[in-house]
Amino acid sequence: MTRVLLAGVVAAALCGCTVVNSVSVPARGTSAEPFVTAGDITEPHEVLGLVQVTRTGVLLFGNLDVIGTDLEAGFKQALLPAIKEAGGDGAVRVRYQMTQYTPAARVLGAIFFIFPLPSTVTFTGQVVKLKGPAVAAAP
Amino acid sequence: MKRALTVFSALALSLSGCSAVTRGGALSSVPAASDRGMFLSTSGAPGRYTTLGFVQVRGYGVQVAGYQEAGHATLDGPIRGALAAEASRMGGNGVIHIEFLDENPTTDFERAQAAAQSIQNLASGQRGVEAKDRYVTVTGEVIRFEGAVQ
Repeated sequence: MTRVLLAGVVAAALCGCTVVNSVSVPARGTSAEPFVTAGDITEPHEVLGLVQVTRTGVLLFGNLDVIGTDLEAGFKQALLPAIKEAGGDGAVRVRYQMTQYTPAARVLGAIFFIFPLPSTVTFTGQVVKLKGPAVAAAP
Repeated sequence: MKRALTVFSALALSLSGCSAVTRGGALSSVPAASDRGMFLSTSGAPGRYTTLGFVQVRGYGVQVAGYQEAGHATLDGPIRGALAAEASRMGGNGVIHIEFLDENPTTDFERAQAAAQSIQNLASGQRGVEAKDRYVTVTGEVIRFEGAVQ
C-alpha cells in the first residue's frame, strides 16, 4: 500500500508543470500602433465601440500552430487590425484567453496526430479614440 | 467495509456543503511596503506606468486522494512564480489587472469521496489512489513604473 501511495505522489509531482505565453506591446507614444491596456485611461477619449476577436485553429502534431492561435498572433494579427479598422487610437479594458496545453498533452497530440488539438485565442476590449495628445497611461 | 464507506460518505456529505473555496496569499499593498521587487495587483497601478505586454499562465497539477496537492495548480504558484518571472524577463517591475481562475475546484464532499474511494481501492488491491487533474489560469498586464512604486 505504501508503494502505491508513494508511486502516486511521485507520479503526481512529476506531472506538475506550468505553461507560460506572453506578448510584448509597444509603449504608448513610441509607435504608430494602437495602444492596449487592461485598465482604464484618464485622458479625454471617445468610445468607438466594443470589439472581440477570435482566432481558431488546430495544433498539428500537438505543436505546429500553423494558423496562429497564441497571444502573439491574436494580438498582432487580429486585435490591432480590428482597432485600426474601427478608427481607434487604442483599446482599454482588454481581456484575453488562449488555449494552453501542457507538455504531456502536446506529446499525446503528437502521438495521436490524426486528432489535431483544437486551439483558440480571444481578445475583447473597448476601442477608444483620444481627444487630445497621447500621453503615458495613468492609474 | 462497503457499509462503513457509505456511512462515511453520507456523513461527509451532510457535514460539508457543495461549495469549493480556493484561496491565495496577499498580493502587493498600496502603498507598497517596498519599492523593490515585483508589484502584483488585481487592480490598477499606484503611479504612472508603461504597458510592456500581457501574460497568460496555466498551472497544472494533480490532486491525490482528494487532499494532497502536487504540481502548480494553486493561485500563489503561478502568480508569484511563472507570472512574476515572465514579467521580469520582459523588463517589467509590476503586473496589474491580474485575473485568476481555478478551472476545476474540488468541493469538500468531492475530497472526502476521493479519499474514501482511494482507501477502498487500496484495501481491495484492485486500483490505485484517486487522482484528479487540476488547472489554474492566471492573466496579467506587465508594466514598468515611470519612477518609484508608490
